[in-house]
Amino acid sequence: MSLLSYIIRRLLLMVLVLIGVSLLVFTVMMLLPPGQRVAAYVTNDRVSPAQMDAMIAKYGLNDPAPVQYFRWVRNLLHGEFGYSITASSPVIDGFVRFFPVTLGLVLFSAPLIILVGIFLGTLGAVRKDTPTDHFTRVFAIVGYSLPTFWLGLLLMMIFYGFAGIFPPGTVSNDVRNIIYGEGYHQYTHLLVLDGILNWRWQVVGDALYRMVLPTLNLVVINSALIMRLMRSSMLESLGQDYMMTARAKGADRKTLFRRHARRNAMLPVITVSGLTFAGLMGGMVITETIFDRKGIGWWMAQAALQLDVAAIMFNVLFLGTIYVVINLIVDLIYAYVDPRVRLS
Amino acid sequence: MGTLTLAETQDLHTNFYTFEGVVRALNGVNVVVQQGETYGLVGESGCGKSVTVRSMMRIVQAPGRIDSGRIVLFLNDQERARGIEIVQRTETYMESIRGSDISMIFQEPGAALNPVLSVLEQVKESYQFHRMEQMIEETLAAMDAERSRRRRGSLRGAGAVIQAALLRKELAATRRFDERVRRIDNELYQLETSSDTRSEERKADLNRSRDHARPRTGIVAVARRIPFLRRYRRRLDATVRAHVVELLRTLGIPNPENIVQRYPHELSGGMAQRIVIAIALACHPTLLIADEPTSNLDVTIQAQIVELIKELKRTIISSVLFITHDLGLVAEVCDRVTVMYAGDVSETATVRELFRNPLHPYAVGLLASVPKAEQAEELAMIPGAVPNLIAPPTGCRFHPRCPRRMDICVREKPDTVEHTPGHWVACHLYTGKDGGHA
Amino acid sequence: METRTDQRQLRPMHPRLREMLFTAKRFLRNPLSVIGLSLIVIFGVIAILAPVLEPPTNRDPYKIPHNGYRIEPSPPSAAHPLGTTQQQYDMLYGLVWGARSAFKIGVLVVAANLLIGIILGALAGYFGGIVDEVIMRIADIFYAIPFLVMAMALVVAIGRGLKAVIIVLIILEWPSYTRVIRSDILVTRGKDFILAARASGASHLRIIFSHILPNAMYSVLILASLNIGTTILTAAALSFLGLGSETGTADWGQIVSLCRNWIVGTPGNRFAYWYTVFIPGFVISLFVLGWNLLGDAVRDVFDPRMRRR
Repeated sequence: MSLLSYIIRRLLLMVLVLIGVSLLVFTVMMLLPPGQRVAAYVTNDRVSPAQMDAMIAKYGLNDPAPVQYFRWVRNLLHGEFGYSITASSPVIDGFVRFFPVTLGLVLFSAPLIILVGIFLGTLGAVRKDTPTDHFTRVFAIVGYSLPTFWLGLLLMMIFYGFAGIFPPGTVSNDVRNIIYGEGYHQYTHLLVLDGILNWRWQVVGDALYRMVLPTLNLVVINSALIMRLMRSSMLESLGQDYMMTARAKGADRKTLFRRHARRNAMLPVITVSGLTFAGLMGGMVITETIFDRKGIGWWMAQAALQLDVAAIMFNVLFLGTIYVVINLIVDLIYAYVDPRVRLS
Repeated sequence: MGTLTLAETQDLHTNFYTFEGVVRALNGVNVVVQQGETYGLVGESGCGKSVTVRSMMRIVQAPGRIDSGRIVLFLNDQERARGIEIVQRTETYMESIRGSDISMIFQEPGAALNPVLSVLEQVKESYQFHRMEQMIEETLAAMDAERSRRRRGSLRGAGAVIQAALLRKELAATRRFDERVRRIDNELYQLETSSDTRSEERKADLNRSRDHARPRTGIVAVARRIPFLRRYRRRLDATVRAHVVELLRTLGIPNPENIVQRYPHELSGGMAQRIVIAIALACHPTLLIADEPTSNLDVTIQAQIVELIKELKRTIISSVLFITHDLGLVAEVCDRVTVMYAGDVSETATVRELFRNPLHPYAVGLLASVPKAEQAEELAMIPGAVPNLIAPPTGCRFHPRCPRRMDICVREKPDTVEHTPGHWVACHLYTGKDGGHA
Repeated sequence: METRTDQRQLRPMHPRLREMLFTAKRFLRNPLSVIGLSLIVIFGVIAILAPVLEPPTNRDPYKIPHNGYRIEPSPPSAAHPLGTTQQQYDMLYGLVWGARSAFKIGVLVVAANLLIGIILGALAGYFGGIVDEVIMRIADIFYAIPFLVMAMALVVAIGRGLKAVIIVLIILEWPSYTRVIRSDILVTRGKDFILAARASGASHLRIIFSHILPNAMYSVLILASLNIGTTILTAAALSFLGLGSETGTADWGQIVSLCRNWIVGTPGNRFAYWYTVFIPGFVISLFVLGWNLLGDAVRDVFDPRMRRR
């Protein structure tokens, strides 16, 4: 029962934060003059100033802010997100088109990032002050300091520019023809999954091939944080009194590290891993721009450049929601893993 | 006196290599624990009591290291003659001793238990590490008894046959492993006295294979990972669980079936300390080391825990090494006692002798600083504090605080002399080297 | 019984001074922290000496001079020691004056955030209750949106340019400072010496300023030094995306964004334009690395849990 009430409490809190996020997004939007906000309703390039004024009046963009806020929220709840110039379609259609590309890469790279981070962090802690440890620490701090876009450009220059392998983009033209050709069903819009379901290995292979560089880029930059955290929390755990008890019991090294230290050390890492997962969605802006993958990050960058208000606001809201939901999931996992949280 | 030594340290030096410098925590400590006694180690905090016992179990934490000295254990009759020197032994050898022959209970019961593992999981490990053979045997016996009661041929019966087969396999592997390890340890023991190059090489060889020895379970290791076959482990777990519950019951823990499912944060301090004691006692060790087991508990709980340890001393354990800074507790619990100061042993005597006739000025000061019921005058105290052990005082480490300091104390570390039979002291007042007063 | 030892114990060095000496010694013995410090010092000197190293030719020194409008970058030469970017902007000039921009962004953003963070954190941590609840829930909301995405949206709303980037980063980074200061203050507030000060009738302001803040300062400094790196990276990312400074501004991210079309060289020489890709990003990395090393070292040195190891 206590777990249930915990979940309910967390859900209520989540709703509150979401309302806050929507208010924040709305405030940012209100910083723009009505003439630019009207873009969310404009569906073609040729609109005269008179028509513009008419639309501003029609959609009430000069109304008092609270009125506009409630109208906006009502529209959101009805699934009306406006029109996106950069996607040349309503926002929701653009989202359906762009999101699977991002999700595919996130699902592929996030586990790798987390595993690499945990593995290297544990290694560094277990072999503290050895060359292995120094190497992983340098790796982490360099990964932490590299600009994402620069590492991406370097990888492209070396692999694609020089060696001619790992081209940018999501799929090759041949594969695109297969996807949009006869007899191919896009069940999930995730390339790899659809490829497997359609039994077209060429699609799977090409999709994975083109994910290598973006994934490498994301792993180097993002696993550093998890690695550092894992190392320090593992070291802290190793220094605790209960490790002494375990040693005094006659525990061997394997049991000491795996069962006694790592289990405790993983607790903070769970939180950060969840945040990494959520943060990756946002961090895709740079990676997708560089590797020319048309996902929501790429869309966001285009929208920002072209003042595509509807797309920007939708994406910010969406990513905020993702973050809040993942946070909730992480807290639930946490409550499951750490007995101390369960009852408090 | 027919006293037999159980464990002793000889000229033990343990140092901590910290950033600020080398902390010389133990400066040649000699401690002897005899069979059947309760032996006390007293001194102010930071004088090396904990480091001494942690060295004896070789669980000194980095950056600490045993740099020289010997630790000799006389655990069974076969080793009675010479004892086993454990500083040179491998870590795996130590693992087989810790928790089985020597175990330890700690100062802070709250911190000594792993917060994410249940009581059962933590106590269970003691059996898993050291008593696997016995556990499997008991499980098999229980299953045999059950089978004779049940009809043959049923599906559950077939499952039980597979489970029993797997358990037998594991039992055989465990026995083979134990036998192998015993052979290696025996040969190492034989080789211990000789030190020519050939036996040195052989020793290194043996130590290496000791380190890499693992029970070869073959098919069982695979079965352990397969969901359905893994079930045979449940029977085993049930046996171990029964032992844990029984152990907790003998330690006077009410409602042990419930307690084993709890997590440390749900236990009171006294209860947590009982669990820590249970972990240490699971395998009936020969020597129990208690590192200030009561200092962080309420006075009433303190009394209960002390009573429990005394009771256990009478029934289960042969010897207890009791660390405390509470002289009252020493008088109540211990047979013999050693006073330590700043990594040195100052004085060793029976409790009666020490309280009646303390020799070392530090011991004198320590006893004088205990409040007594009929205390009339002001409480005496030793001026100053325990020195920084990165740059310890020269000669006798107590000399800067000593009221009876002589010139020689600054220059020379005093030898330990037997002042009267069984009463040892390390002080220039008694070594016969007279240096005159400063 | 007056002896030498006793005298030494009677007049020890002031504890704070002794701590500082110990800290400095420890800091300088770690090669990584020395590297970090040297990097920052070198960049600092370059930024200060920018008018001497690369005398400005325009009225606005932050405009990179360019020699013609040819699209292809040109390789290093006597006139342009590090080559030029696309459209012939001089790389060296851009990097030297870009160091000034970087310091400007980093210092302004961190200083403003320190101020906001200290005020809000102190309010939330010291008074607790409703004030705390409101401030921290607002911080939660800011946390919920990915940093870069929110920064992009805000830049779009405010308008582009270096100034906008600075304002946006100030708006977005205050929650982390506030959180750290608040939690530090919560820890300190319960300590006995605070209770003693309160019992002796000290005013709230006096307690906050003379007892609580000095104790909370270390973790804030660590956060600040680690944060300068992140701040610079975000600013550069915005510039790279075309949301920061205008083309031709001496700003590192801006210079990197000019190289985007040149990762693939000419058919004969595939690394033909490596300099325009490699150099500006490398400089950003070194700058950020410097701050991160420094922040790490400061943390290791000040963190009481880490320092004695």
